[in-house]
Amino acid sequence: MTAVGAGAPPGPGAAIPEVPASAWEQALRELSEAGFDCLDFLTAVDRGHCRQVIARIRRSADWQAAMVSTQVAAAAPVLASATGVFPGASWHERETAEMFGIEFEGLADSRPLLLRAQPAKPPLLRGEFLPARVARPWPGAAEPEVGADGRRAGNPSRRRQRPLGVPDEPAQGRP
Amino acid sequence: MMTPEPAHGAIGLDPQACTSCMLCVRECPTWCIELGSHTEEVSDPGARRPRTVNVLDSFAIDYGLCMYCGICIEVCPFDALAWSPDAADPTADPGGLVLGIDQLRGWFATPSDS
Amino acid sequence: MRLAGEPVIVVELTHLSLACCALEVEAALREGLMPEEPDGPPGAARDVDGHVLLVAGTVTEALVPAVRAAWERLPEPRFVMSFGACANSGGPYWDASTVRSGVDRDLPVGAYVPGCPPRPDSLAAAIRSLLGSTAQRMPA
Repeated sequence: MTAVGAGAPPGPGAAIPEVPASAWEQALRELSEAGFDCLDFLTAVDRGHCRQVIARIRRSADWQAAMVSTQVAAAAPVLASATGVFPGASWHERETAEMFGIEFEGLADSRPLLLRAQPAKPPLLRGEFLPARVARPWPGAAEPEVGADGRRAGNPSRRRQRPLGVPDEPAQGRP
Repeated sequence: MMTPEPAHGAIGLDPQACTSCMLCVRECPTWCIELGSHTEEVSDPGARRPRTVNVLDSFAIDYGLCMYCGICIEVCPFDALAWSPDAADPTADPGGLVLGIDQLRGWFATPSDS
Repeated sequence: MRLAGEPVIVVELTHLSLACCALEVEAALREGLMPEEPDGPPGAARDVDGHVLLVAGTVTEALVPAVRAAWERLPEPRFVMSFGACANSGGPYWDASTVRSGVDRDLPVGAYVPGCPPRPDSLAAAIRSLLGSTAQRMPA
């Protein structure tokens, strides 16, 4: 574990050291004991089959950054809370719980942080759509009226335009 | 009150230059532009068939939503949109921030330098 | 605050500084409005034309109770000014689940100021639109 995050700060695209979920709290504790005493952030990424939890911790002596990650199963997204090592992780874990549906065991403060009403599914999971984008008609769907001869300007077989970030319309006329 | 010029105060429209191609409407991050159009057939002298053109019926920007990013101006292939140093006025009614062709045409007449 | 012009308007602004628009408000105040000598504790009834809750910036869902509370504490006559695209409609964050799509979903907005951010002179214009008619009725 001593090699975690040591050396140059990870650049864009660099692999983030990963530990098993069962060793998450221990990995954070070892970083803390190595002088990485300041939790910079903790968040998650939905990888489909799993949810990756990522933490960046800084060493206040020289502001060197270390990163560490773990994976929790999408079917049972539970992870030990980092608050035993870094009390400031509470704020990040409340946000990550709310946005990615991860349960942090040992997190004392489970109040919602950013959302006043918890939606049915955590909003930052892939496959979830922003309700406002789905509910509001997209002005870009408009097309010039069909001409008097019944022909549409342009290519009539062209696929109907869809805005970014909304689900495709269900296929029509199919069982 | 000093407002630096050229200012990105509002976005003006030249309805004559607009071809109703919908690029600005579809690229707008806040979906704040609405455009209505229809097609007409135009017969050119000597042409074997009439050609079909889009005719602009309505164009409105909701200045309650607009984030003044200028993407609509950038994507317009026909320079039908341009920054204006003028700005929309405060209103008591949010619908009053939805401004149509008449207002936007006036702003196009006084474009900013950039 | 005293807004010069005809009529002179004396307004107590409660500035909810919620995002970048708040900086623009400070710049606009510095240029266009004169500070009034305080003649009582904050929130006390004063000889003003009106109290304006100036909502400048992004109203997040988490902040809605605090924004409501600020409004409920304002004495009459009171008005809400929605300053900038975020307060007007959510603006760049119109589709975000954590952002209220307009402070008018919670409070009775009397003036919507467009812009991202609005320009400085539109702050004075909005105060005048809210209080201009009231101020004229007040004895000089």
